[in-house]
Amino acid sequence: MNWYGESGAYSLDAEAAAARVRQNTNPAPKKLCDWKELEAAGVVKSRGEYLAAVREVSVFMANEGIAKALSEKDTEMLQMVRMLDELDDVINLLTERLTEWHQSTTPGSSRKYTRAASKKFIQTVAKSKNPSMKSVAREILSLTSLRTNLMKDVSRTADAVIPNMSALVGGLVAARLVSRAGSLSLMAKMPGSSIQVLGAESALFSHIRAGTPSPKHGLIFQHRRVHNAPREVRGKLARVLSAKLAIACRLDAYRGELDEAFVADANAKIDKIMEAGE
Amino acid sequence: MKSIGKTLVSEGAGGVYGERMLEGCRVWDPYRSKLSALWYLDKSTDLKADDVVLYLGAANGTTVSHVADYVEAVYAVEFAPRPMQDLLAVSARRKNIVPIFGDATRPKEYAALLEPADILYQDVAQPNQAEIIIRHLPFLKKGGQVILMLKTRSVDIRKTPEEVFAESCAEIEAAGLTVEKGVWLNPYHIDHAAIVCRK
Repeated sequence: MNWYGESGAYSLDAEAAAARVRQNTNPAPKKLCDWKELEAAGVVKSRGEYLAAVREVSVFMANEGIAKALSEKDTEMLQMVRMLDELDDVINLLTERLTEWHQSTTPGSSRKYTRAASKKFIQTVAKSKNPSMKSVAREILSLTSLRTNLMKDVSRTADAVIPNMSALVGGLVAARLVSRAGSLSLMAKMPGSSIQVLGAESALFSHIRAGTPSPKHGLIFQHRRVHNAPREVRGKLARVLSAKLAIACRLDAYRGELDEAFVADANAKIDKIMEAGE
Repeated sequence: MKSIGKTLVSEGAGGVYGERMLEGCRVWDPYRSKLSALWYLDKSTDLKADDVVLYLGAANGTTVSHVADYVEAVYAVEFAPRPMQDLLAVSARRKNIVPIFGDATRPKEYAALLEPADILYQDVAQPNQAEIIIRHLPFLKKGGQVILMLKTRSVDIRKTPEEVFAESCAEIEAAGLTVEKGVWLNPYHIDHAAIVCRK
């Protein structure tokens, strides 16, 4: 059936038409819409009127669809974690440039050998006499505190939105994984092996194309149990952890609440591998 | 299609995406739009005033807005929510665009909205681009034209673009289409080919 209904019972009402469009199960209908039918029945007077009516239906459906997509629980978390990573880049870039600037105006200054922490260094510059340099340093400091707050926000949101994954690898890493996968529902359809190399795409493709060694871990390397693990078991650990993450992700996507038994079980298994390596 | 000097333009209200204007017409940039690139490389591409176009992969509606300047109606399908918001904004100003929020791999979701099209245009980043074209053939008139903007890198990164091109052409021909020409869109779009066919 077409969006405007059947002969004798034509209707242009957007809501009813949307329901008819959704009911359709035939991917290749024999009879497509024909605006001449409606004209003959006197429902529309012109081609323009037909187009206006069909647009009303499609725009109605689009608005509904977009509202639904935007109300997905992970949408905002993804934007937050992307903003966080972007902030990191900006802060590093500005800090580097400010260091160069400061060194070029201060003959005796060098960050070599002193290993001054970058935050301490920025605080020193913030007291400098050069007014522009001073205000740049202050901006960086305020960006840094903004970043800290945002990071806490991301962790808190992740604990609520993706509780099982957060329990396994912490909110921040879990949120980054979802961000790289695209969305929670996309990630829930991924096998563990894909999750294992999320974030290591260039290494993966160079492995597929040129036969270089395959990547053992992508973003999950940021989780402490992976990067603290002894080299020999790191690959194994990454594999097991990502398999558990795949399960956790599906729990988060389709059940949406913390499964303590599963998390305890998974953590025990991962810790056992850690111990075996030591 | 209309050109001023050697520049492709379309007639319509400007300011859709900050495009340049030339003598009151909108300049259609080949580096931003594959259909424009195709015109620069092969002048036989044409859009007629009474055409109905089924456009898969409408994205933000940049190319769609130009197509809409030329033809009678465009059914524009896009499945990502963010670009769809932009497409809706574009279609609010152009009354001959029907914006459809749907997944081109599942035409049944919006089949009941469509009417027979003169031109089926596709620009989607999916591995099964030829298959998506074939699934939409029921919506194309007999003798209608198919313009497939083949993104070879989305089909298979391990094969060379030429291999992907040959395989896609074979797949389309097996479905009963006649491939009229294949145009590589260098230098405007790297590893993209336009395949023009007839039903």
